[in-house]
Amino acid sequence: MSNNTAAEIRRQVERFLPKVLKPSRYIGSEWNVIKKDWDKTDVRMVFAFPDVYEVGMSHLGTRILYHLVNSYPEFLCERVFAPWIDMEKELREKEIPLYALESFQPLNKFDVVGFTLQYEMSYTNILNMLDMAGIPMRAEDRGPEDPWVIAGGPCAYNPEPLVGFIDFFLIGESEEQLPEVLHLVAEQKKNPVSRQDFLRKVAQVQGVYVPEFYHVTYKEDGRIEKIVAEEGVPALVEKAIVADLDQAFFPTNPVVPYLEIVHDRMMLEVMRGCSRGCRFCQAGMIYRPVRERSPETLLKQTEELVRATGYDQIALTSLSTGDYTCIQPVIHSIMEKHGAEGVGVSLPSLRVDSFDVDLAETVQKARKSGITFAPEAGSQRLRNVINKGVEEENLLQAAEAAFKKGWSTIKLYFMVGLPTETQEDIDGIIDLAKKVVNLGTKLGRRNITVTVSTSVFVPKSHTPFQWEPQEAGSSVELKQRYLREKLRDRRIKYSYHDVTTSYLEAVFAKGDRKLAPLLEWAVKHGCRFDGWSDQFRYDVWMEGLKELGIDPRFYANRAMDYDDILPWEHIGSGVSKRFLAEEHHRALQEAKTIDCRYEDCTGCGVCPSRGVQIELKG
Amino acid sequence: MRLRIAYTKIEDARYIAHLDLTRVFERAIRRAGIHMSYSEGFNPRPKISFGFALAVGTEGEREYVDVELQEEMDLGEVLARVQEQLPPGIRLLQGRALDQGAKSLMAVLNAASYRIRVPMALPIQAERLQEAVSGWLGREHVTYSRYSKKGPTDKDIRPWIKLLEAKIQGDEVIFDLEVEMGNSGSVRPEEVLASLRELENLPIELDGIQVIRTGVHVSYEGGKSSPIDTAG
Repeated sequence: MSNNTAAEIRRQVERFLPKVLKPSRYIGSEWNVIKKDWDKTDVRMVFAFPDVYEVGMSHLGTRILYHLVNSYPEFLCERVFAPWIDMEKELREKEIPLYALESFQPLNKFDVVGFTLQYEMSYTNILNMLDMAGIPMRAEDRGPEDPWVIAGGPCAYNPEPLVGFIDFFLIGESEEQLPEVLHLVAEQKKNPVSRQDFLRKVAQVQGVYVPEFYHVTYKEDGRIEKIVAEEGVPALVEKAIVADLDQAFFPTNPVVPYLEIVHDRMMLEVMRGCSRGCRFCQAGMIYRPVRERSPETLLKQTEELVRATGYDQIALTSLSTGDYTCIQPVIHSIMEKHGAEGVGVSLPSLRVDSFDVDLAETVQKARKSGITFAPEAGSQRLRNVINKGVEEENLLQAAEAAFKKGWSTIKLYFMVGLPTETQEDIDGIIDLAKKVVNLGTKLGRRNITVTVSTSVFVPKSHTPFQWEPQEAGSSVELKQRYLREKLRDRRIKYSYHDVTTSYLEAVFAKGDRKLAPLLEWAVKHGCRFDGWSDQFRYDVWMEGLKELGIDPRFYANRAMDYDDILPWEHIGSGVSKRFLAEEHHRALQEAKTIDCRYEDCTGCGVCPSRGVQIELKG
Repeated sequence: MRLRIAYTKIEDARYIAHLDLTRVFERAIRRAGIHMSYSEGFNPRPKISFGFALAVGTEGEREYVDVELQEEMDLGEVLARVQEQLPPGIRLLQGRALDQGAKSLMAVLNAASYRIRVPMALPIQAERLQEAVSGWLGREHVTYSRYSKKGPTDKDIRPWIKLLEAKIQGDEVIFDLEVEMGNSGSVRPEEVLASLRELENLPIELDGIQVIRTGVHVSYEGGKSSPIDTAG
């Protein structure tokens, strides 16, 4: 490669930058950006988001960790996102290495490159970004001069497909864990020990998983025989957890992008965790227990956010914001205090009930565009199976309230291919959609639209459905076609997710270490941005699977046994395997499980095993 | 209170797309704690408007924006408070309160001037350069083909040119260009230079072109002025 100093990279990039799409993705001089003195910090980390800038900058965790690391004077944290296809082409043609936005330093000059794993279909971007940076993809090919390549985020709960590429994973919430790791990196730079010895030290940090210390053997049929941890590292890596969310670090001076990003607003995290217990939902299991922030903290943070960003909208985020016990007083206080400056509130997640329609009404500033409800399944039976505590009556009441308050577009979100699903459940989707449409018409609303959208169920690790297979694509497609046929009505719009993407997502969600060569192969054959339908190349993936002799059905479509060793058996979310199995069993019996926030403990195991507790402020 | 402000859009700020610029000013003004006026209707937007878009990547040495505020304020104070909240490449140069009923920037602006630096592909003599420029300016019509998704369209770019001068500096040629702008369009500096290279065989390296828009103007018979001076 040519001269790779930061100044030289910047000079070269500026020559072609006006020609690429959205140049301000790549320039890093946004409001509130943190540019530290490279030479005056002990550890330099680059936070890498394996998707485009607009997606990455919308992610709350990225915002938190960037500012958290930079809050330590001894650390520096910069950002990098996956360059879009056109930018990659320019960089590669001109042999310019992938650089970090703040300093234009190439990634291989950093001590730590930290990827966040938000969805499986971004894995090829991780390898491609390493390659663009001139960092060997395989951990074994990297030397002492190369950065530590680490990864965290929800997909790290099944890290196995990425084993071989990532030096170590951070499982769980990183607010306390990541600084601890970086202090060890600082120590390692000062008094270096061998790679092995360093990794052994890091493995002592709560939630750190160093895959090379865990040895996996397989049975003849490809299932796992056992996973053996070496001496001196935990046999079960248990997630890190923030016990006191109210006092936890939260940045109120986030970077404000120039270009419009996906969630272009302030984000206020009102709580973490959800204990509704939907059995398909990984987030609902791995972020337990529920911990709320106090209204006082939230109002103080809002004030600071408004001053520091100039945004005109604040989103109250969490897995289910309607469940936050102080939601009404917080919304009212924010509107009272900041409404006059043109600041509005948005609620990204609504429950299916009329209480939340009232909340949506309260915050609605302007025209009522659309309101979204997620019944997830079409029949009461199937909703009981997935433990989505929503009755048809709730939905119709919510829809009625929405129509009466002036909404004319209602979006209904469902999954297709859920465990035990039958024709009746699919018909239930059609039935519900028609009931909502007819309700609107009966209420005298004109020009109503009901948008039905279905995704394909993907079984995820650490959920009660982790043992479940994904339904075969051909049969899901039949269901999609049936729905398209039956939902033909000028008042109903139907959209659905691509089956092939969901299929690969399932392969990686339930995958093991044997998939690593497939990822490498796919990247070499041009796969990247697989989550983007215009970039996804299913045929190339299929060719790779064939060439490497990997049967995708083994991962995606095989029902696992309770006594199978799961690929993620050695990773702990705090929720016990026994509880997940019980929940799976109850699902098959169509039995509902309560929310432990309001009633008795359901015995998932997270509180006693981790010495934490549910924290409600209302 | 309506304000017209002159500002620079240089350094990294030159990569901010025109469509994103409204948000940049809107957020800066809100951070400054100054209340903007909003449009009526379902989706109220702050009243901020600009003149002709500056191409992404091109620096602007003197651009203009109109902003409407809810209350009367001291002009110097507004400029100082907003300046503090703007990214480094956007510097406020001058401001003026507009009279009620003053025309918008888009309605008054009709010309732009550019300074263009371009490396020579082969050595060029001063005389040869002047010949090329006067030869090009002497043409009554200059056809230029623009390529879009729909294919090429031919356009006469000569009528837009008000001034074109060139001089040599080291191994670069420096052009001063002034063009008319209007709702029916204009001509880009890159197009003028590409045409000059092609029609007059002037060996310039278009890949290394650097364009600065030095100003936008209210032009009239015999002269031009700034939209701040003419606003009344």
